[in-house]
Amino acid sequence: MRLLMLGFNHRTAPLELREALAFDPGQAASAIRELRQAYPASECALISTCNRTELYLARPIHDPPTIEHLRDFVIQQTGADADAVHAASIHREQEEAATHLFRVSSGLDSMVLGEPQVLGQVKRAYELADECGAVGPILHRLFHGAITASKSVRRQTGIDQGQTSVSSVAVSFAKNIFDHFSDKTVLAIGAGEMVKSALASLRRENPKRLLLINRTQQRAIDLANQIELTGSDHGARAWEDMDSLLVKSDIVVSCTGSTEPILTEQRFRPLLKKRRGRPLFMLDLAVPRDLDPKIGALRNVYLYNLDDLQRTVQATESDRRELVQEAESLLKTHIERCMGEIRHRDVGRLVKQLRQRLHDIAEQEQGRTAKKLASLNGKSTEQAVEDLIAQHNHRLVNKILHLPLSQLDRSDPDAALGFYAAALRRLFDLQDQPDMPPEEPAAAPQDEPAERENHGNST
Amino acid sequence: MPEPATSIPLILATVASIVAMVLAVRRVRQSDENASPIWPIQSLLGFITALCLGAFISRVVLIHQAWQPVQAHVDGLLLIGVLLAPAIIYIQSRPRLFGLSLFAMPLLVLILLWGVCATMWTYRPFNLDSFAPAWTVFHLSVTYIGLLGCALGAACGAMYLFVQGRLKTKNGISKVSSMASLETLETLIVRAATLGFVLLTLSLISGLVMVTQSEKITSLGKAWWSSPKIWLAVSAWVVYAILINVRSFSTVRGRRAAWLAIAGLVLVLATYGTVEALDRTQQDADTPRAQEAD
Repeated sequence: MRLLMLGFNHRTAPLELREALAFDPGQAASAIRELRQAYPASECALISTCNRTELYLARPIHDPPTIEHLRDFVIQQTGADADAVHAASIHREQEEAATHLFRVSSGLDSMVLGEPQVLGQVKRAYELADECGAVGPILHRLFHGAITASKSVRRQTGIDQGQTSVSSVAVSFAKNIFDHFSDKTVLAIGAGEMVKSALASLRRENPKRLLLINRTQQRAIDLANQIELTGSDHGARAWEDMDSLLVKSDIVVSCTGSTEPILTEQRFRPLLKKRRGRPLFMLDLAVPRDLDPKIGALRNVYLYNLDDLQRTVQATESDRRELVQEAESLLKTHIERCMGEIRHRDVGRLVKQLRQRLHDIAEQEQGRTAKKLASLNGKSTEQAVEDLIAQHNHRLVNKILHLPLSQLDRSDPDAALGFYAAALRRLFDLQDQPDMPPEEPAAAPQDEPAERENHGNST
Repeated sequence: MPEPATSIPLILATVASIVAMVLAVRRVRQSDENASPIWPIQSLLGFITALCLGAFISRVVLIHQAWQPVQAHVDGLLLIGVLLAPAIIYIQSRPRLFGLSLFAMPLLVLILLWGVCATMWTYRPFNLDSFAPAWTVFHLSVTYIGLLGCALGAACGAMYLFVQGRLKTKNGISKVSSMASLETLETLIVRAATLGFVLLTLSLISGLVMVTQSEKITSLGKAWWSSPKIWLAVSAWVVYAILINVRSFSTVRGRRAAWLAIAGLVLVLATYGTVEALDRTQQDADTPRAQEAD
């Protein structure tokens, strides 16, 4: 089997393209099913987060799809611009694809180094693919290996300690604008994991008010209860109150699943006057974006999105280079073990196939020899039976060796003769001997020419 | 006439302030973990404070031999140096305020350079032979200390513009993480403006008392109210009056407040410049008259 990965992430694709390439769980399931339908022998899984869209696929070595097929599939599924997709995509194969998934799961490829959320996202991607029946033994081993390795790396290096989430970076961003939070109002829009994480980080700064709105108010209430936002100053509010809450707020964090901006510049501009020039820190963690980028150009409004956070994080990432090296070397062991298991399984399957094919040839020849034995009609002499057995052995050996030896055809300039010769020596324990004078050819059996003609068809 | 007891400490303080400024710039450019120690910069600032204080006291005790400490521009500039250098030490010792010293230290260098000029080439004592020397001393003292407030306000304003520019353009945000937040800077602008406003108010009141009590003791004459010096001083006062209420006037918050703080300092410096120009014109006019009388 061959392992492939086609991906787009925050390093290779701008936010606009990532928005176009994002799959929600429903779209991801449908895409996986379509891919599976098109390539039934393949296994596939799709990771789609704010920062990355990655397609993992394991397929038989000589079968489609190729990377080009996968790229076309993504373009067809998302409707994204083909040139942009070509320019921003990365692809990896075999060990490199596995290494990439292991790095992603461990947070080494995340915007914020060691980010814990990505592990949950990888797990969910695996579960979704499994539900769609697209996970086979290769991806099962790969994803389980990646999840186990990620936990081990996090535990041993402590790479997920400290400022390791987008939310914690966002809080440090807010500290460039505000000195303290005790008199500030925080408004969170959405009720997903990112909002929950952002609220947890902001809560540690003790803001005066922590308010939460969501289109489905019950989800906001549930989240507020879950993170114990109690008291008159905190808690869920109605979606319809958004404008009045925006006037009161000092910090706005938004991450909804909306495909259109929930707040446009035209809607926000009239609210500015009511804010009386108070600075407003807005953080748009959603992909596609929730807040119209034009809002960021307004006076005393500081709007940041995921790409802006990434640029800042990159600047400070060099400080943790030693941790990354330690994590990489730990991952290497896990990747080697995982790929070893996959290869071992592949070789096992190969041996089984080979055994089956040889048995098929043997059965075929056995049938022919049995027919010939029967045709002797009791006139069999010891010599005739011996001849038949010799012919049987000769045909069997020729048929078995026909395909491998045809690869040694010296007239084919592309044949990897050296490789095949070495493989034969190794596989059949042959010694490298100097050229010997040709031996006298053994007397060919009577039906030899006819047998030779048949070799090509039987293999 | 150059006084070595004043000019030598001032030159040394100027050189020390330039070295301290270079070290501070270098320190800001380094990452937090590799940042060079702060003590050489603060030691230099302590040295500058000691030099300015020594020069100021020596002038009062040895040169003026009088109770009025501020008898020339150089005295006022030394007084600002004595107050500004420790203020910068304080700023540097506060977390995330170190960056502000980058904007305050060039001001210290300029003030000390101005002091060197004022003692070596443009030395001219104030006219204190008046009926109200107490008013004059008070006027000059509050004016110079007010200038310190205005300078700090302008430094905060410049830093605000720098930080805000980075945050808006999202270019090099990690660089501003070691600097004060916009909220802190706005608070500092308001506080510095409050200091400047109070002292400028006192300066204007004492100045008004002086010009209305006697038209001889000032160069403004009867039509003092139409003098550019008065209009510039009043304009600066109005700017600071707005600045201290910046949180009530939503239209001047943020960048505009920062620009106002800088504009306020420019107006105050323009007022000083006008005083200098008017005094020189007055002196030039008085000299031929005195020669004719002789």
